[in-house]
Amino acid sequence: MSFKTASEGYVKYQGLGNWAFVLHRLTGLGVILFLAIHVVDTAFVYFAPDLYKEAIALYRSPLFGLGEILLVLSIIYHGLNGLRVIYFDMVNPNMWTIEINRKSVIWTWIITLVLWLPAAVVMGSHILEHLGG
Amino acid sequence: MTTQSRTVDVPQTWESFAWKWMRYSGVIIFILAWIHVLIQDILVGVYKIDIGYVAGRWNGGFWRVYDFLLLFFAFSHGMNGVRQVLYDYIHSAGGRRALNWILLILWAIVVVIGTIAIFAFTPPAA
Repeated sequence: MSFKTASEGYVKYQGLGNWAFVLHRLTGLGVILFLAIHVVDTAFVYFAPDLYKEAIALYRSPLFGLGEILLVLSIIYHGLNGLRVIYFDMVNPNMWTIEINRKSVIWTWIITLVLWLPAAVVMGSHILEHLGG
Repeated sequence: MTTQSRTVDVPQTWESFAWKWMRYSGVIIFILAWIHVLIQDILVGVYKIDIGYVAGRWNGGFWRVYDFLLLFFAFSHGMNGVRQVLYDYIHSAGGRRALNWILLILWAIVVVIGTIAIFAFTPPAA
């Protein structure tokens, strides 16, 4: 069965490059799911302004606030890892070695966290300021 | 450790076009999406966003065109990404054809809805 083969393949090869690949997929799927919803809810400003107000009220709930912080993490990681892959593929394919790949994945994760943490602090403080109305 | 790269001829197909599309659009989205997230999610924040905010933002043409480009590139990039992921699980020609049609229709619906809203929106009378 195809699903089984593919998922076993992901799980059996556990190099860092593979985790970078799995995370790229998961964050990409998460972002596109949100983007589809986000385009429609923003379109409410034109098609159904009352629904837009309800959507914004939902986004302002603490649960969605936490989701937004994870969304930003996904976007930072997906973008940085994407640039890494683009650079290797399009500019310098000689960098596709196990060792360089490993190091660049670790750097991608470090830079992701360095950029995300201050963003998470700012967004988290916004949530706390608005707790309870 | 050095590696010698070699150049191979890849036939020009839809798949090779899609492969390049993900990379070129990726660079564009990297710029557009990060600026968008920095402004809307981090600096402004959802608590200050309402219809009045959108009206101010879409007052001129610049941010409308910006948002349209972001919508077009990001959603097209993302839907092709979904297609690539599902191709790892759907192997039959018929299944893939059905998948392509479903994703193409979904893509068109969302892009059209978003584009109409971006360009047809007029601020409510104050």
